[in-house]
Amino acid sequence: MSSNGFAVQKIVSAIVSDIGSVLLGKERQVKLALACLLSKGHLLIEDLPGMGKTTLAHALAQVFGLSYKRVQFTSDMLPADILGVSIFERESGQFHFHEGPVFSQVLLADEINRTSPKTQSALLEAMEERQVSVDGETRALPQPFFVIATQNPLQQSGTFALPESQLDRFLMRISLGYPTREAERALYLGADPRQQLAKLKPRIDLITLKKMQSLVGHVKASDSLLDYLERLVLHTRQSPDCAVGLSPRGALALLRAAKAWALIHNRGHVLPEDIQAVLPSVAGHRLQSDGGNGDQLVERLMRQVDIIAA
Amino acid sequence: MASNRDLMPRESLLWIFAAQFVALLPQLSQLPLWIAFAWAFAVYWRLEVFRGRRDLPGRALKLLVIALTVAGLAQSYQRWFALEPMVALLALSFTLKNLELLSRRDAFVSLLLAYFVAATLFVREQSIPYALYGLISALVITAALAAQLGSFSARPRRALGLSLRLMAQATPLMLLLFVVMPRLGPLWNVPQDTSAGRTGVSDSMAPGDFTRLSKSDKPALRISFDGPIPPPEQRYWRGLVYSEFDGRTWRQGVGVDPRNGGQVYWSSGERALPQIGPRFRYQVIQEASRSPWLFALARPASDSPGVGETVDDRLVKRTPVYSRFAYEVRSWPRDSQTIPLPLNSAERRRNLQLPADGNQRTREWVGRLRRRGLGAEEISSQLLALYNREFTYTLSPPALGSDSVDEFLFDSQKGFCEHFAGSYVFAMRAAGVPARVVAGYQGGEWVNGEKYLLVREYDAHAWAEIWLDGRGWQRVDPTAAVSPERVRDGLETAAGEEFMQDSLLPLHRFDVLVKLRLQWDMINYRWYQTVVSFDSEKQRDTLQRLLGDLSPMRMALFFGSPVAVVLLGIFLWTHLTGRGRKRPVVERLYAVFCKRMARAGITRRPGEAPRDFAGRIAERKPQLAEFARRVTDAFERAAYGGDKEALMELRRLLRWHLRLFLKVPINKSQLAGH
Repeated sequence: MSSNGFAVQKIVSAIVSDIGSVLLGKERQVKLALACLLSKGHLLIEDLPGMGKTTLAHALAQVFGLSYKRVQFTSDMLPADILGVSIFERESGQFHFHEGPVFSQVLLADEINRTSPKTQSALLEAMEERQVSVDGETRALPQPFFVIATQNPLQQSGTFALPESQLDRFLMRISLGYPTREAERALYLGADPRQQLAKLKPRIDLITLKKMQSLVGHVKASDSLLDYLERLVLHTRQSPDCAVGLSPRGALALLRAAKAWALIHNRGHVLPEDIQAVLPSVAGHRLQSDGGNGDQLVERLMRQVDIIAA
Repeated sequence: MASNRDLMPRESLLWIFAAQFVALLPQLSQLPLWIAFAWAFAVYWRLEVFRGRRDLPGRALKLLVIALTVAGLAQSYQRWFALEPMVALLALSFTLKNLELLSRRDAFVSLLLAYFVAATLFVREQSIPYALYGLISALVITAALAAQLGSFSARPRRALGLSLRLMAQATPLMLLLFVVMPRLGPLWNVPQDTSAGRTGVSDSMAPGDFTRLSKSDKPALRISFDGPIPPPEQRYWRGLVYSEFDGRTWRQGVGVDPRNGGQVYWSSGERALPQIGPRFRYQVIQEASRSPWLFALARPASDSPGVGETVDDRLVKRTPVYSRFAYEVRSWPRDSQTIPLPLNSAERRRNLQLPADGNQRTREWVGRLRRRGLGAEEISSQLLALYNREFTYTLSPPALGSDSVDEFLFDSQKGFCEHFAGSYVFAMRAAGVPARVVAGYQGGEWVNGEKYLLVREYDAHAWAEIWLDGRGWQRVDPTAAVSPERVRDGLETAAGEEFMQDSLLPLHRFDVLVKLRLQWDMINYRWYQTVVSFDSEKQRDTLQRLLGDLSPMRMALFFGSPVAVVLLGIFLWTHLTGRGRKRPVVERLYAVFCKRMARAGITRRPGEAPRDFAGRIAERKPQLAEFARRVTDAFERAAYGGDKEALMELRRLLRWHLRLFLKVPINKSQLAGH
């Protein structure tokens, strides 16, 4: 892709190493988040408190030089708290719309499952439509619009589980997991991540980001690869393991994410490995099984579906 | 209790009733009427259950119903081991199954019974309409079976469609089985109720018997000739010989019928056959008559199994003719035979027997002729001249009193074959000439350009035979003296207006209809010739014609090859259509690589990506690492990058590797060069 006037690989490795300096040992998750951003999807990070969810979101916004807002979701939050509200101004004698936090390029929706379904749904609608309707007026959200939502595992008290239809709005769901021993040691020895975060410089500008996003669409997916994708999707729909198969939207998301993954790895075409790399993040929250969770299902799916036609 | 899954689909109930109705319908004419009512009642009850108004009957009630029906069967039939009561029992059990029709298994049992009941139809009838009906019942029953699948399968179009498809698929198999299925001889003869209505000529002849026959235009015999054909005046198909007269009725007499001690030669050659001849060879297809008599020209002999020859030159069958029966006959007409042996005294006595008294006027009249010194032939011709002069041929003669011969000869002088034959034989016996009445059919109608002769019930006829010393038995047909056209042209011409007078619709008056009937008869004849009479002998002939020699090898080929062809076809069809697109070349090449690696001991797991596989190969077999890496690289570029050159490279790599496999030394630099 270097022929396109700039070196994708160079940018990607710079970004990854930058974020890696604040979020140690999570290169894969960083790349997935990057792929998610490049394929214009939203990201859901699911993990325990204190695993670095916010750090990742913040760092991403920093290196891309995007406007960043953070909303801490609570159970008493109302849709207006996110979208904004019209307030009557005495001086002008008019209603004036005060934009909510949703009017930003990167929105970190922290602990999204702590708030009521009503508020969740307001945000998720904005994510899908990329616009907000308040008081009968439709307002477009800034470009790019990237939501990083975090949620605590559902077993925790005081959470409202996101329904499947809303989980589907997120291109990927990742979890960070505990750091490795080395990474944790480095964390103990290093400086305060919060200060380092502040030091991060934007690596690319908006134009480059948009260019890279458009490049994702040009990554080639050959017939053989689409066959493999088809087999995967068909398997989820036919296998007795899966209660619900992958929807066409899910299949498209998988392809788009795989393309972005291939772009990040500086390839002009998608390999089956690319699909396999993004599959757990893209399909994990979309699949349901009678027993076991979606992740185990994806694991089995990858083992059972052959890459080349039988 | 059946689990919910095993309950039969509700909407398929009507299909089951339809199947039962179709299977029972043709049996109803034979079964006692109360069975039809029992069926209707069971259906009504089951429908009430279906509508939720009633419960299925309990055990006690069911036992009661069973006891009642068994008693009813016993009452209706009084005997058990015959076909009719068994069919009735089957129909009843089938009927009562409705009272516990609940699970899918019950439905299957009921429908399998329906198949069986439908098949019993063919024990009695094998004609085309019944065959078509059998086909329809199979279709309906199969549709009922298809309706049991659930999920809207009971919709008429779906069930019938599936049934039609199944039947169509089964047709080739059916044809194959028809040709190759071994025809077993009857292991057990179905006992039939012999009291049920006989048709055709009976074993006794009383005045008026033949009027009944003359009113029926049902086919009786179909005769096809191999070689010369007898002229119309010689077509006397003998079936019975009556020798005993009690003043009113002519009977066979004791010691003639095989059932009461008459001698029958069951295998040809038992009785010496004439040296010269036979003159006529033909095949007779006889309709069911429920009696054992067969019909043939004089001095017949037959090699067909189960057919024997009696001493009075007739053919009989070992068991009554319950369904259409075909037999081959050779005939030696009397005039072609040599001088016979003189009649033995027992036979002479039998054929001269007369009642002690009665019919005095006839006896006196004949006595006068004898006193004039006339011989047997002169008396016969006097009598025939009398017939010719004074008598009228009519199908509706006046009733006769106790001295029937006297009244016929001297008073009424009106009658038809049985009157003429009976009075003639009486007179001849009174004159001391051994004589007997012969009954059978006379004449026949050509169908389809002399392909075969169709003899109908109204062709039934009675004539006489007299014994002339030195010449043997001679046929005399007194009817011919009064109405020659009866013999020459058949009953229709002879009887004129009287012919088929009582029939509701005088269809025989319309030429087109007569032609159509003949056409239909011809179709029936073909049907019987090709399908119904396809026995083990014809089967062997057919197979021999198809295969030449009947060696086991050829038989196996003949049976096996169609099956193999069909299976191969199905396999190819599923292979070509079921798999969707053809596998791309590059994936086939990679599969070759995978196969070779598997042979080398490393098998690719289904979900394993090429690069992971290459990594594993490098780990396990370092000597193959470079090769695997290059193949994988080429494959990835070819399959996913759309690189045409990579495909060629992949080919090259695999070819080299094959040489490596075959231990052909290769140029290392050649490999490195690519």
